[in-house]
Amino acid sequence: MGGAEKKVKLELTRRDLFKVAGAAVGSAAFAYTVTSGPLSPFSELRRRQQTGTETPHEDARPVHWGMAIDLEKCIGCNYCTWACDAVNDVFPDKTWNMVVPERTPSGAGFFFSRPCLHCQEAPCVEVCPVQATWVRDDGLVMMDYDRCIGCRYCEVACPFDARKFNWEEHTAENEFTPTWGIPEVERRPRGVVEKCTFCVQRIDRGLELGLTPGVDREATPACVNICPVGARTFGNLKDPASPVSLVIEDNPSLRLREDLGTEPSVYYIPPKEGL
Amino acid sequence: MAAPATSMPLRSFTPSRRRFAWMALLMVCLAIGLAAAYQVFTKGLVVTNLTDTVPWGLWITIDLSAIALGAGAFTLSAVVYVFRLSRFRSIVRLALLIGIIGYTSAMLTLLVDIGRPERFWHPWVYWNVHSVLWEITWAISLYLSVMLVEFAPVLAELSLFDRWPGIRRMGHRIHKVTPVLALVGMLISLIHQSSLGATYGILKARPIWFKPSMPILFILSAMAAGPAISMTAAIILQWVTRRKTVPLEVLRTIARFSGFGLLAYAYVKLWDLAAVAYYGRTPGTEGAFYLLNQLTPYGFGFWFGEVILGIVLPVLLFLAPGLNRRRGNLALGGLLAALGVAINRWNVTVSGLVVPLSYSPGTLYRPPVGLYWPSLAEWGIGVGVIGYALLVFTLGVRFLPLFPVGAKNDQTSLRGSRLPDR
Repeated sequence: MGGAEKKVKLELTRRDLFKVAGAAVGSAAFAYTVTSGPLSPFSELRRRQQTGTETPHEDARPVHWGMAIDLEKCIGCNYCTWACDAVNDVFPDKTWNMVVPERTPSGAGFFFSRPCLHCQEAPCVEVCPVQATWVRDDGLVMMDYDRCIGCRYCEVACPFDARKFNWEEHTAENEFTPTWGIPEVERRPRGVVEKCTFCVQRIDRGLELGLTPGVDREATPACVNICPVGARTFGNLKDPASPVSLVIEDNPSLRLREDLGTEPSVYYIPPKEGL
Repeated sequence: MAAPATSMPLRSFTPSRRRFAWMALLMVCLAIGLAAAYQVFTKGLVVTNLTDTVPWGLWITIDLSAIALGAGAFTLSAVVYVFRLSRFRSIVRLALLIGIIGYTSAMLTLLVDIGRPERFWHPWVYWNVHSVLWEITWAISLYLSVMLVEFAPVLAELSLFDRWPGIRRMGHRIHKVTPVLALVGMLISLIHQSSLGATYGILKARPIWFKPSMPILFILSAMAAGPAISMTAAIILQWVTRRKTVPLEVLRTIARFSGFGLLAYAYVKLWDLAAVAYYGRTPGTEGAFYLLNQLTPYGFGFWFGEVILGIVLPVLLFLAPGLNRRRGNLALGGLLAALGVAINRWNVTVSGLVVPLSYSPGTLYRPPVGLYWPSLAEWGIGVGVIGYALLVFTLGVRFLPLFPVGAKNDQTSLRGSRLPDR
């Protein structure tokens, strides 16, 4: 600015030196605490990796409801979708459970179906601005229709297209009742997001009555009950004797998009041609 | 320093044919908006072209653009009150008004967009601190409050309050703490302007969204285009009202700031493109870009809309010494930069949703590709919100003392500049 050169003389007192050293040590300590120390967002991950445990809170829970879908057995009859539509009063334009024809890399046909996967690290739960959806202690991803504001961020965040929005009020009669079942839950109002619940009403009521979900039909999701070929099994993933655990134990299985780390509760048994 | 009391509105209240036509146009816009809102509130969001595959569309684009263009408020407030560059004082009130208009427009649009408008208050009561959208809702509400408090002294100068000196005294008192408000506003803005990009950037399942550059791109573009649109508004006001608003030297400095801001934005954008689509491309992103270019004019929108119109031309108009001396060029540059930001927000929102999620383990099945074009009701709301924004702007300009009068003040504040005002 001024043009003329100025001599700059640096004077450093002992006090200044202490100040600088103190600041350096302080910021190093702060950096350690927030990056790898106890305050770090990664401390939990680090602990998990060092101790070799998967998700510690999950291990402590006695119950984790899960499903296995055998893609080799599935014949693509769509009964699961229709039973779900009837029991949960879902409209066919926004099915909670979908079935589509697929083809393995070797060209063999099979049928792929998908309920809500009830991820334990669910992206939809993370993004909801009002906590209208959450992971319950037994692993179910729940929805509070009275709290949902209908922003649809969960729909955008879900990696599996599992969430559906009520674009309008449904007043018409459900074409799948009563042929495929009787509605057990209230129809959702306009303007909220909904999704597969693993028929939570049956699980909760069944447990009250002393039944075992996955074994007793009254406490088991409608899609599992209706399947004519037994492609779907349900039960407590934590109980090694539950039907779902036995199926997973006896067969090779995979979960969708494991690379995303969402920890789905639904296991797929691939067709014998492989995936 | 210009004392707030020496300010006055730009024009006295006299009717004219031109003004009547303008107001009539705004009323038509508002009527269209109200008719569309009635449709949405009675029939539900089924009147939109949004689907479960593309649940966000034009309205989210409007929200994002309006908030980005409101960024001039925090940028220029910080320049004046935190960094003490007082020669920008002449534009800070206008920038604040535009900020308030931008944020309220976004909130109005959001109110129509959410499925349960009567539950708009839920984010304030039911906290999910993990949600970036929760943080944005809070930051936007807090920042709007900060802007309103910061703007209160201007309102207190209305001749309406001549009879209540207490209110005016309160306005002066608030004005004294403006630096604190500006600092708080800057911090909140730096957080939420970038969080809007993070809304997309954190979604790990979405191939062209999931990247850490999203928040950076959003805040850089907002900080470049926000002040530019305030500058443009000042120039247009000067043409329309034929009164001095802001000295050219101040406008040019803002234009230069915006120009460099756009260059920084372009630099990050270039590296983002190189890293995502070229050097570090994955099958996911490659497939996504292929689909986008096959099915939509994504490439054209990106290169022509975002890069040429939104970055290259404004940078030339703002930074080339031969070009940035003319008010017309600066105004054109500001409009282009704003258009570029709006196209970018559209491209980000809609394109990320058009690309189907590939979670199916097989190879044949692809979920339906989400092509989207807004419905009449959606355009109607858009027109209505623009009508609202222009109406508040017109009324604000007419009745509020936005520009300090008294050439003396301008002269003293211009002392630091090297070029004469042309």
